[in-house]
Amino acid sequence: MFLSFISRQPVKNTTAKKPSPGTDPARPATAGEPLLEKSRLSCRHLDVFYGAKQALHDISIDFSGNQVTSLIGPSGCGKSTFLRCLNRMNETIDICRVSGEIKLDGEDINRPEVDVVLLRARVGMVFQKPNPFPKSIRENVAYGPRIHGLARHRDEIDMIVETSLTRAGLWDEVKDRLDEPGTGLSGGQQQRLCIARTIAVSPEVILMDEPCSALDPIATARIEDLIGELKENFTIIIVTHSMQQASRVSQRTAFFHLGHLVEVGSTEAVFTTPRHHLTEEYITGRFG
Amino acid sequence: MNQNSRPQTVSTAAIVAAGLRKRYRAEKRFRRLGIGAVILSLGFLLLLFGNILSQGLPAFRQTEIALEIEFTPRLITADPARGNYRALARQALQRAFPKVRKRRAKKELYRLLSNGAAFELRRMVLADPALVGTDRRCWLPADDLVDNFLKNPESGKKRLSPRQLAWLSQLHNQGRLALRFNRFFFTRGDSRDPEMAGILGALCGSIFTLLVTLALSFPLGIASALYLEEFAGRNAFADFLEVNINNLAAVPSIIFGLLGLAVFINLFGLPRSAPLVGGLALSLMTMPTIIIAGRAALKAVPPSIREAALGIGASKVQTVFHHVLPLALPGMLTGTIIGMARALGETAPLLMIGMVAFIVDIPRSLSAPATVLPVQIYLWADSPERAFVAKTSAAIIVLLAFLILMNAGAVVLRKKFERKW
Ligand SMILES: Nc1ncnc2c1ncn2[C@@H]1O[C@H](COP(=O)(O)OP(=O)(O)OP(=O)(O)O)[C@@H](O)[C@H]1O
Ligand SMILES: [Mg+2]
Repeated sequence: MFLSFISRQPVKNTTAKKPSPGTDPARPATAGEPLLEKSRLSCRHLDVFYGAKQALHDISIDFSGNQVTSLIGPSGCGKSTFLRCLNRMNETIDICRVSGEIKLDGEDINRPEVDVVLLRARVGMVFQKPNPFPKSIRENVAYGPRIHGLARHRDEIDMIVETSLTRAGLWDEVKDRLDEPGTGLSGGQQQRLCIARTIAVSPEVILMDEPCSALDPIATARIEDLIGELKENFTIIIVTHSMQQASRVSQRTAFFHLGHLVEVGSTEAVFTTPRHHLTEEYITGRFG
Repeated sequence: MNQNSRPQTVSTAAIVAAGLRKRYRAEKRFRRLGIGAVILSLGFLLLLFGNILSQGLPAFRQTEIALEIEFTPRLITADPARGNYRALARQALQRAFPKVRKRRAKKELYRLLSNGAAFELRRMVLADPALVGTDRRCWLPADDLVDNFLKNPESGKKRLSPRQLAWLSQLHNQGRLALRFNRFFFTRGDSRDPEMAGILGALCGSIFTLLVTLALSFPLGIASALYLEEFAGRNAFADFLEVNINNLAAVPSIIFGLLGLAVFINLFGLPRSAPLVGGLALSLMTMPTIIIAGRAALKAVPPSIREAALGIGASKVQTVFHHVLPLALPGMLTGTIIGMARALGETAPLLMIGMVAFIVDIPRSLSAPATVLPVQIYLWADSPERAFVAKTSAAIIVLLAFLILMNAGAVVLRKKFERKW
């Protein structure tokens, strides 16, 4: 399916609209349609610095609800950094500075009065590297609901644990050993455990940083199905290095390059008729 | 593929093989060096232990003389606490050797028994008033010269008179002279008489002092480490604190003693020589160690765990107490035990606050005058009587045993908290 995108790619179509490189040293505005009429989450002029080094340059993009947006781009281009801005995880890094505006349902999340605990309960995150707690599998999943007071009784918690693990495609593998350490699972199982842990608190927005990079095709398919299910109710932003995955699960795709947001558009448009030459080169595998 | 780019004759394998022997030789050399170092340090340790054990073990046994004691009501009087127990003991000696009549001979005879024999009789009567009026055989401590004679007959002989030697051999033949387990050593405080000097007073003093130290420095140290590492931002003030804590950890311990003297005793008016003040001074000394070890342990917790907890909306405090602290606790305990072990062996600051006094009574409270094990060792090592040499080593054995017990407790605790997952 993906290959067919590329082979069908109408080359002459794209060359016409492509801004040529090097003409504008300050970088052109993002190609495609970064801004939407109705959005759940919107970023304006986001700059991120690690110390003196600027990792993201003037990012403006909207995300609509009930949709999956995938972020693609070569390694080190700032996808994770961008994702971490959306639930203010960058605050935990001493040298990191974020400026610009990020609005969730019209409310700027970077204002000091916004409660970061509440924000992170609403905007959940699955990290690039699996990071289960060094506690039992059950405790890993139950921890979020318990601290937020989503469930009080043991059977309620057990229910949440079971449904979350089932949705993450891990239940059958671990149902007999819920009291064993989460860190004793394989890398892929750990990643699914982290996904279960995130969805257990039912966040409104789910940020996934390469959730399938350690998974086999079967588990990947399971997670992709889960993403499809979740999108009915949630806003999902997923970082992926797999073009096939981006085209399978997402409705919108954003392409990052060297800290710039190069192009955003519907997944189909980005893959079939990329407007920027960098996008085209990246998705056809000529660099990156 | 690689071989094509190089002359056919030199394969990678050949190059590696040529260097292998050198690598293995280096490894072997390093291993030998390591084993040598371990053996050397073990050897010194064994030498030390062997020396201390051989010197100290005899002190765990004590020469005692069995005498027929007649608990005469006339001597014990109405108030048993003030009875004339020395006369009671002498009367029994007289009874055992009725032929000794002359004053000088009698004096020599009485010197076979320790001064502590009277204390022992008093203790027996106070513990069991029904003894009064009865007549029974009691084992009483012998004088340290007699004790020394039994332990080292050759050199000990010279300090006793021929008459005394004759009496001793008579007692021995009757089975009334024996080396028995030294109960006094473990049940009494310090004494001028080596045969009656015990370690219990110093042991209690050490335990009280360490309890105060632990109760203060562990919670305060851990709390400071947590605050500095997890909550205080990186700013000039935090840097200033860090530098000062590091300096504090390196301050010679006697300075803490001076501080304790100036602040706790002179300013706050706390009692001198008390475990409370000793513990306060030692916690000043131990806390920086605990803070530094605690911070290192917190730093070693992988940041991904913090991110995981924060990422699902745990607050800072929840993250720290639910996830970071449990992982850091084993390391913190290690630091604490190192600090406590140092506190246990510390003398200098305690000298400054008067815990070096000669204290006979076993401390019963935190403010009672007390001394501690290392100070006791120092005091005994400084005493002229020969019998104190063995006591010193015995006290060292007790100190080491205490230390090992403490460390073992820490290892057990650490194992309990240390989950390898
Ligand atoms: N904690 C940090 N401190 C300093 N620089 C950082 C830090 N994290 C990321 N960076 C820098 O920011 C840039 C973007 O990193 P980021 O992790 O966002 O890349 P990415 O797009 O997620 O890459 P990948 O696909 O490999 O995960 C990189 O150049 C990286 O060196
Ligand atoms: Mg990344």
